Amino acid sequence: MSGRWAGRRAGRRLSDKPDEELITEVLGGHTDAFSELAARHRPRVERLCRRFFSDEEMSRDIAQESFIRAYTALATYRAEMPFGGWLRAIVVNLCYDELRRRRRRPEELVGDFSAPEVQWMQTAHVASPEDLVGEAEERREAYDLAHRLLDTLKPEDRMVMVLKESEDLSVSEIAETLGWSEAKVKIRAFRARQALRKQAERMLAMGRNR
Amino acid sequence: MNCFEARQEFPALWRKTATAERRSELLAHLKGCEKCDHAFRVFALTAPVLYGKMEQQASQVSRPARREFSLADRPSRFAQASREVSRPNRWLPMAAAAAIFVFATSAAYLSARAPRDSFGDELSAPETSMTSDTTSDPLAPEMPVTESDLAS
Repeated sequence: MSGRWAGRRAGRRLSDKPDEELITEVLGGHTDAFSELAARHRPRVERLCRRFFSDEEMSRDIAQESFIRAYTALATYRAEMPFGGWLRAIVVNLCYDELRRRRRRPEELVGDFSAPEVQWMQTAHVASPEDLVGEAEERREAYDLAHRLLDTLKPEDRMVMVLKESEDLSVSEIAETLGWSEAKVKIRAFRARQALRKQAERMLAMGRNR
Repeated sequence: MNCFEARQEFPALWRKTATAERRSELLAHLKGCEKCDHAFRVFALTAPVLYGKMEQQASQVSRPARREFSLADRPSRFAQASREVSRPNRWLPMAAAAAIFVFATSAAYLSARAPRDSFGDELSAPETSMTSDTTSDPLAPEMPVTESDLAS
């Protein structure tokens, strides 16, 4: 798990020390070592935050807050679990709190789509699968529309969808990260998939009818 | 490739991690299967967030250069949130309001009970409606009907 979280920050050479060694250094008083830990894990943390929030500033703030909380709670970290997994639990819980804090959750898609968004819906309806993959990377509206679809989910459902589909976590890993039972994770995943498919079908129909 | 296998490959196609062989098999399947083609289009609407690399969107936004980690860089929204935590629990006044509401509702209900439940009605109620301890007890054995009961 820690391997997937390991990264190399652009423009700065990171040491090859394992996370646990850096943590020992931080706890031993070499607080600078935490900068290296943060630099190593920041890309992965920010990427995860971006899957929850389309607002870039919000994603960066949550990532930063996650590192601050990890730093202040580092003494409670136990080496039985990888640092990456421990840090991810902090990030996920912060994202969950923020999703719940927002409370405003559109049950249904609101129809005020911009012209590029409508165009993307039409593209999703007619383009070949290969073109869809290529074009989605180029178009910001594809990303925004995907966020709008995911915004219709309950926070719990969204957590499960992102952790399962994007982070490739197993049901038991999600249950451990969120502190839920495995049955609850399975039910949430099932409901989330159903709800998401329903909304995506509606969006696709909009693209067909416009 | 059958439909189930094809749908399992959607994420790999999106992430471009599928082998060339699997990719061409999947594309051929999508061309010939209307249901899977539709399913892929539905999948494609959420895929940019769920399966995208998520780096490109960040690069499209102008952002300041990253600095070293510092505790002083705490986002302001979380500084406010931590202050909120130290406030008294906001559930207390809500619980108090709920208790007052329940009390007021009960009082209103008791004061507006049906007239037959008033003390005067209770006194003037016919004797037949008065029940003994045994008849009011649902577990008490049913008494047999006697001839004198039928006569009355």
